[in-house]
Amino acid sequence: MGRCLLAISISILTAACAGGSVEADHESLTIYTSVTRDTVDAVVDGFESTSPGTTVEVFRAPTGELAARIAAELRNGALEADILWMTDPISIQQYERDGLLLEWTPDDLEAVPGAFRTAKSFGTRVLNLVIVSGHTLLDPPRDWADLAGVEGTVALPDPGFAGSAFAALGFFALDPGYGLQFYRDLESNGAVQVQSPGDVVNGVAEGIYAAGLTLDRTARDAVDDGSPVDLIWPSSGAIAFYSPIAVVDDGATSTAKDFVDYVLGAEAQTAIAATGWEPIRDDVEWSHDGDQQTIDWEQAFDRQGELLAQYREIFDG
Amino acid sequence: MVAASIALLVLWPLLELVSVASEALDGPGNGSLVDPMANTALVGAGTAVLATILGVIAALITERSAVSGRQWLRLGILLPMLVPPFVSALSWLRAYGPGGLVDDFSGFELPGLFGPVGIVLVVAIGATPLAYLITVASLRTRAERDLELAARASGARPLTSLRTITIPLLAPALLGIAALTFVVGINAFGVPAFLGTPASFDTVTTRIYQDLTLSSRPESFGSAILLATGLVGVALVLVTLAEMALGRIDAVPRRAVPSGHSGTRSARARLLTILVWFAILLTTVFPMIALTLVALTRGVGLAPAPANWTLSNFSEALDGRFLGALGRSALLAVMAATTAVLLGVMVSALRNKLGRVAGVTALVSFALPGSTLAVAVLLAYGAGLRDTLLLILIAYVAKLWAVGHRSISGSADNLPPDLFHAARMSGAGVRTAVRTIVLPLLSPALLAGWVLVFLFAFHELTMSSLLYGPGTDTLAVAILNLQQLGDVQVSSALAVILTLPLILMAIPVLVLGRLPGRLMGTG
Repeated sequence: MGRCLLAISISILTAACAGGSVEADHESLTIYTSVTRDTVDAVVDGFESTSPGTTVEVFRAPTGELAARIAAELRNGALEADILWMTDPISIQQYERDGLLLEWTPDDLEAVPGAFRTAKSFGTRVLNLVIVSGHTLLDPPRDWADLAGVEGTVALPDPGFAGSAFAALGFFALDPGYGLQFYRDLESNGAVQVQSPGDVVNGVAEGIYAAGLTLDRTARDAVDDGSPVDLIWPSSGAIAFYSPIAVVDDGATSTAKDFVDYVLGAEAQTAIAATGWEPIRDDVEWSHDGDQQTIDWEQAFDRQGELLAQYREIFDG
Repeated sequence: MVAASIALLVLWPLLELVSVASEALDGPGNGSLVDPMANTALVGAGTAVLATILGVIAALITERSAVSGRQWLRLGILLPMLVPPFVSALSWLRAYGPGGLVDDFSGFELPGLFGPVGIVLVVAIGATPLAYLITVASLRTRAERDLELAARASGARPLTSLRTITIPLLAPALLGIAALTFVVGINAFGVPAFLGTPASFDTVTTRIYQDLTLSSRPESFGSAILLATGLVGVALVLVTLAEMALGRIDAVPRRAVPSGHSGTRSARARLLTILVWFAILLTTVFPMIALTLVALTRGVGLAPAPANWTLSNFSEALDGRFLGALGRSALLAVMAATTAVLLGVMVSALRNKLGRVAGVTALVSFALPGSTLAVAVLLAYGAGLRDTLLLILIAYVAKLWAVGHRSISGSADNLPPDLFHAARMSGAGVRTAVRTIVLPLLSPALLAGWVLVFLFAFHELTMSSLLYGPGTDTLAVAILNLQQLGDVQVSSALAVILTLPLILMAIPVLVLGRLPGRLMGTG
């Protein structure tokens, strides 16, 4: 018993210290990311095993927290990260425009659809915003427009907190077919705002909300776990956006570029798909659930402050 | 050297903080700070009232009535100390929140759990053991049993004797308890972060967290510094008051008080016993069971029945990266406990003015809000040590060495100085004398201090959430981040891993530790 405890503690301590020490002949790479942990882990483990001698250090935090850390580091001097790997295309725009990111051409650039990349940041996976609805709902919504007519409370993630929620706000606000009226209708039907897409699915599963807007993987995971929810792919199409990766300009080592090349390659893309996210490459197997629609994310970024302020008038005012 | 290390740990960071705060005072965007301050005052006041009442009632029941199983009851009342406050908040959510266990079965959810009501309830329950322990100590030293017995013999009913004798004698202690629990309330971070933030109920501590880790506005650092300085000012004033009110407890020599209650076991005592156990069950045990059940359930929204049970949340919680966080929490806790105890020994060895000053500083740094201390340590050492475990360790030791010191100094004062002098006169060096005389005599107190500091540091969230960086996140921080992302199940599993093994280990230790005392009839 005692020996067993000792063995466990030693292995825990080894794991604890593994991140800290870097030997002299080792390359080390620091990644700042808001991407889900299991996905990052799968890709980083794969990269480390294909490039021995490279240690990858990952700082994972929610989008807002990552932005705060980056801002603080920039105030104090320079960014510690070599690579930024974000959840949504909008939150990386600021750094792209501030000239923090390297402009270059990855090996597999053509594998990334033109709508899902810029000159400096490249889509690594596709996230789909979909509808989640509870089993108790007799007449579940079939498309976005039906959400405002749901009998029961609809939950939305907070665009100030979650990058995906802002992607939704950007899509609806910029699409002339919806506009901000989409949110006004939801609000007058009693919709509420929660923090993250995960909170939406949990609330619907627990029967607190009737339906909500969330990410495809989050809803699919809950369905697979047996939670009493359905993933509803909107008939007009899910809102598709991409999770960009970029090399930081002053951290531009060949290892950093190697990592991005690896993420865009078939092996990492298969690992990403295995964690439940749609791969960016169409030569990696993926079962598509339905249509997708997307917008010009740079345009959404230009109007970020204005859109958030207008949204707050609807949901906080 | 001791003085220097204390100055480096506590005083320098604080001076740095004050100097930067006075510059930040002119900064823009400080107008929105009023709400968090008012909310913090509300939480502090609510906690003070509720925890004092609960602690005093519990102490009167265990010390002044003929309850059965008194030792077990005392342990039960102290149980919340073993649960980190933010885990307590999580477990209340899983038990009484929307979609919680009670909601599943009866459709009832505790109204206002998200917001001030829930925060005060959970923080106060966490602060009750503190109020209870001080009341018990005061009952033994201040409220002399003879006076109560005299009143009873003269025909006063129990409640009359309580109202006219016990409570007035306790009055200064009650004031001190209220002040200390108020400080616990305003320093609380984990509970308002889990129960307040989703309801947009910001306190000073959660605002500091948001300013430092969630905001990219440059001026938010200034507002965090202002808030941190204000918080420490209030905490220090209150703790000084508490010290003045409670100091007399230590000063009064212990009398030969007949311990416990001599009366016969009555139906009322039985009722009281059941009542206290029911309260412990409701506030601590049941929420932990609900948390464990959620961690064991396959999917959100499923009934926590055996058919839906799985260990997959635990296996996910124990995979590489979380194991690393668990290891870092354990490593930090071991180092903090060892350093704090060593410092405590050195301070206690100084039987002079400096030692007394250090004793006062000890209390101050224990009362220091973790949020303030983290900001101060970041200002003082952030330039060189940012994102290292050492930075977190410095903050932990600065905060917790007081716990080590306090638990040791009591025993150290009772050490017969003659033994030490005898060893010295027989030619032993200071080191040898300490090693052969002082340490063996102190070892039970050292162990107790070590365990307490370990527990606090292992469960720490406030400071580590402000100081962590790439590769230095602790388990508590991992839970906070997961909960923010809406991962109910793995965050529950991690919270269970953080809490339950220690509770299971602590119970036999506590019981065994008590047994010798009982056998000797002193318990």
